[in-house]
Amino acid sequence: MNITLLTSEIAIICLSLLIIILDLLLPRFETRRSLGYLAAAGVAGVFAYTCTQYGVSATVYQGLFTLDSFALFFKQIFLLAILLTLLFSFDYVEGLAKYQGEFYALLLLAVAGMMIMASANDLLTVFIGTELMTVTFYILVGYQFNSSKSSEAGMKYMILGSVSSAVLLYGVSWVYGCTGSIVFEQIAKHANTSLGMLFGFGLIVAGLFFKMALIPFHMWAPEIYEGAPTPITAMLSMGSKVAGLAVLLRMVFIAFVPMQAYWGGIVSIIAAITMIGGTVIAMWQTNIKRMMAYSSITQAGYMIVGLLSADASGIKSVLFYAMLYMFANVGVFATIIAVKKHHGSNEIKDFSGLAQQSPLLAVVMTVSLLSMAGIPPMAGFAGKLYVFSTVIEKGYLWLGLLGFVMSMISVYYYLNVTKVIYMNEPCVQKEFIVSQPLRIAALISLLATLWIGIYPGPLAELANTAARSLSIL
Amino acid sequence: MLHDYANIGMLLVIALLFPFLALGASYIIQPRRPGVEKSMPYECGVDTVGTTWVQFRISYFLYALIFVVFDVETIFLYLWAIKFQQLGLAAFIEMFVFMMVLVIGLGYAWNKGGLEWK
Repeated sequence: MNITLLTSEIAIICLSLLIIILDLLLPRFETRRSLGYLAAAGVAGVFAYTCTQYGVSATVYQGLFTLDSFALFFKQIFLLAILLTLLFSFDYVEGLAKYQGEFYALLLLAVAGMMIMASANDLLTVFIGTELMTVTFYILVGYQFNSSKSSEAGMKYMILGSVSSAVLLYGVSWVYGCTGSIVFEQIAKHANTSLGMLFGFGLIVAGLFFKMALIPFHMWAPEIYEGAPTPITAMLSMGSKVAGLAVLLRMVFIAFVPMQAYWGGIVSIIAAITMIGGTVIAMWQTNIKRMMAYSSITQAGYMIVGLLSADASGIKSVLFYAMLYMFANVGVFATIIAVKKHHGSNEIKDFSGLAQQSPLLAVVMTVSLLSMAGIPPMAGFAGKLYVFSTVIEKGYLWLGLLGFVMSMISVYYYLNVTKVIYMNEPCVQKEFIVSQPLRIAALISLLATLWIGIYPGPLAELANTAARSLSIL
Repeated sequence: MLHDYANIGMLLVIALLFPFLALGASYIIQPRRPGVEKSMPYECGVDTVGTTWVQFRISYFLYALIFVVFDVETIFLYLWAIKFQQLGLAAFIEMFVFMMVLVIGLGYAWNKGGLEWK
């Protein structure tokens, strides 16, 4: 048994426990910023360590936990997401009324859950990882104790999330009943297309689609994205979504291979509804966080389009898209936090005159939004090109065209924010403060988005290696 | 195959009938001599004073949570202790890690005043 495969997860959990202990030892009225820096440094260390692990392909705990390049790629997305989120949320956490140290510890635990999901090779490990992530998010979503909106969001997320977890678990029990195993490789050996098996598969997929907020499983997203503290909204839209995607990819392509005949029909329809619905509703939003919620629903729709072409190039395009989606999100949410600190609210009109107050953040926001819309020099264009060209090759021409049309429509609401930033005059005349860590996170997001867009080769190569390690083809 | 189900079916029928038979028999043969003391809705011990619809402090929840954590630990320790000889050093260390995590949890609850009755 090679326990060293779990090093990165163990390190993250130890870091979280260390932060809890240090939080107890620090004097009560001392700032908790140091704990945030400690968390960021620890995550950076773990990220550097995961870079050395590429090329490994091994399992531990009798095949229940697997580490390959595919899992590593996702783990690096999560670690980068949490690192950048920590960087831009120091100021936000200082504004919290209480339990600032625990905020960092809980965020790290959520990331540990996501990392377990990426490596899970059986249905129960998937469930444990999912629960570790979502239970932590239940707490974090309701973390603004003085805001009834946040508490309401936390309560709603807990009830809806529990229902989706129950659905997922019920599906697991059906699959176990039909195949006699929960390990992915064993399920693949015994899988058939009996009614019970299809029912179980459908329930599991519904549970995961809920986590990814795809229409028609999206109802929770706007309310909860709006009510949650902004760093948590960022982590929900980056982490929860991408972790669901990681599980879905591994499960569909290893365990449920005979189901792929049914898979194409379901996914193409859900992807189409999601792209249309997300785009159309996003146009009407006046609150930036609600708009980003619908935008993230649409983006998840683009991502699962790549699942339709069941081969390495399709998986590669999804991995590539997930990475650049993460960078674009960091840019947007960093700007939202800075503007919220300045204005105290999250309406789109609060962004007016941002170009004069903070030219850097204005550029970061614009580039990130245009990347999500898929405008050429940004990374989003390369991502959408990969995703849609692979599905068009597989004969889903209509879906590819729909994706292009929806991307063009989505430019409207993304550019609407940009218009407010550049054309309007600032409504409050006071100094606009951008803290140094937030500036660094925004800059990293900007550079990464532009670099991947102009020179996508290295990341595409890495995504390709990761996709091929899934060993299905 | 079907025979096995018949057994289960028999068991089900008996299980359904049994409570009715037991309660029905005592209903038929019991002597009925009601009194003031006998007809009171008591559980045990002394009579209640005042209304029984009182509210409980939320602190009970905290105690219950901490208690459940250690309950689960006890169950886990039992299994570990039974198989301790075969499991070896690794399980010994793992159990200490597990208990350390719980102790940190208890320390946290203690430090934050979760054990105080305020």
